[in-house]
Amino acid sequence: MSRIFFVIYGVFLLGLTSMAEYRGWSWNRINQQRVLPKSIRDNPGAYRSSYGGYSRYIGGK
Amino acid sequence: MPAVQTKSISCPNCGGPVQLRGFAHTLTVVCPQCSSILDASTPEVQILQKFEQKTQITPTIPLGSRGKIGGTQYEVIGFQIRQVAEGEDNYTWNEYLLFNPYHGFRYLTEYNGHWNFVHVETALPEQTRARGKVAVRYEGKAYLAFDSMTAQTVYVLGEFPWRVQVGESVACQDFVAPPSMLSAESTGGEITWSLAEYMSGAQIWQAFKLPGSPPRVFGVFANQPSPYGGSIGSAWRTWLWLNVALAALMLFFMFISPGRVAYSDHYAYSQANKGNSAFVTPTFQLKGRESNVELSIHTDLDNNWAYFNFALINDQTGQTFDFAREVSYYHDSDGIEGSRNNSVIIPGVPSGQYYLRVEPEMETNSAFMSYQLELRRNVPNFALFGIAALLLLIPPIVTTFRRGSFEAARWRESDFAASIAKAGASA
Repeated sequence: MSRIFFVIYGVFLLGLTSMAEYRGWSWNRINQQRVLPKSIRDNPGAYRSSYGGYSRYIGGK
Repeated sequence: MPAVQTKSISCPNCGGPVQLRGFAHTLTVVCPQCSSILDASTPEVQILQKFEQKTQITPTIPLGSRGKIGGTQYEVIGFQIRQVAEGEDNYTWNEYLLFNPYHGFRYLTEYNGHWNFVHVETALPEQTRARGKVAVRYEGKAYLAFDSMTAQTVYVLGEFPWRVQVGESVACQDFVAPPSMLSAESTGGEITWSLAEYMSGAQIWQAFKLPGSPPRVFGVFANQPSPYGGSIGSAWRTWLWLNVALAALMLFFMFISPGRVAYSDHYAYSQANKGNSAFVTPTFQLKGRESNVELSIHTDLDNNWAYFNFALINDQTGQTFDFAREVSYYHDSDGIEGSRNNSVIIPGVPSGQYYLRVEPEMETNSAFMSYQLELRRNVPNFALFGIAALLLLIPPIVTTFRRGSFEAARWRESDFAASIAKAGASA
């Protein structure tokens, strides 16, 4: 692998990392639900989370 | 080289014309018509060997071709094929005899598309050991023993400065220091040392202005220079500098992303409180550029678990980031499992006024849990730097691996195969 290729690859990687860091990217899976009604603030129980009703932890010692 | 006039003699066997290009240096010459080997050292040309060549072999570089190697022009005046028998297999290679009236003789050897420009040496190499192996030292350079064999001449064409005979055998020993190779040929108690320099087919084709393209290269030759030679050190040096740059970037982002607390509060959850556990926090400001937000959960769980549904909601636009986290902490005499704390980084959150919807869950009949939620803006994500550091490792590792594979392929052909492959790879 030539040095030039490595330098280009490395600079690209550093640039990508910088952009990811600057924009606050993350590997986490986050659901974005846009335009949620303002009524949620007054009635938080009415909102159904994307993760609600999923199977829960059943492990432990 | 000025145009050299050739001398012509008649073959005493078939009467055909035989050209001499090496003048007084030529001791034997092969008649191109009947393949008889003739003694050209005296005016009375005598037949040394009558040889019925079953097939007429045409050298890839025709006799009489002229080419410039290392700034000196040479003419191809002889050609021979030599053979090594290894068990039931026979390996052959081609040798071209080159001549320049002022510089004398040189040789070009070709095996499986690999070429070597060979010069007979007058000084003697000294026996030594290098990297714990048998070697010879010549002009300050150590050459590792590569292989030894008995080579037999099986075909000749053109003229030679020695009494060439089809069937004559010499014992050969090769020592390598790519791209050079020292070879010792011993016959009748006399040892001749020659130094070979590896050349590519393209170089030979260019030197002799041959039509078409050179024969395809097969395998790795004993003194073939590694295409990765020197690149390992360079790759790891580049890797080091890129890591220095990565560390500098990390420091920079630690400076511009201080991770300021945007919101923090303590809460309590009890299973005894019937009804929906969901609630919302007061609003808080997330300032600055679009960036991440880290939510940390600190609980006092003890042999229990809790599950949190979260929604980070923009109070003005309604944009919602929906996520969940589980916290579980168990311990007994065997040890500890899990943690009382957990965190999550929410990527790409624009600035604005937000609030958090929280919906904790716990196992039924669990008594009580108190917990703290803390939101930090602009948190350095060290995992990204870690991933970048891992990805930066790929090129030097690939280079090192390919260099090792190349050297392993070289030394597989050696009499010292397994024992020295490592030494070659580390060179």
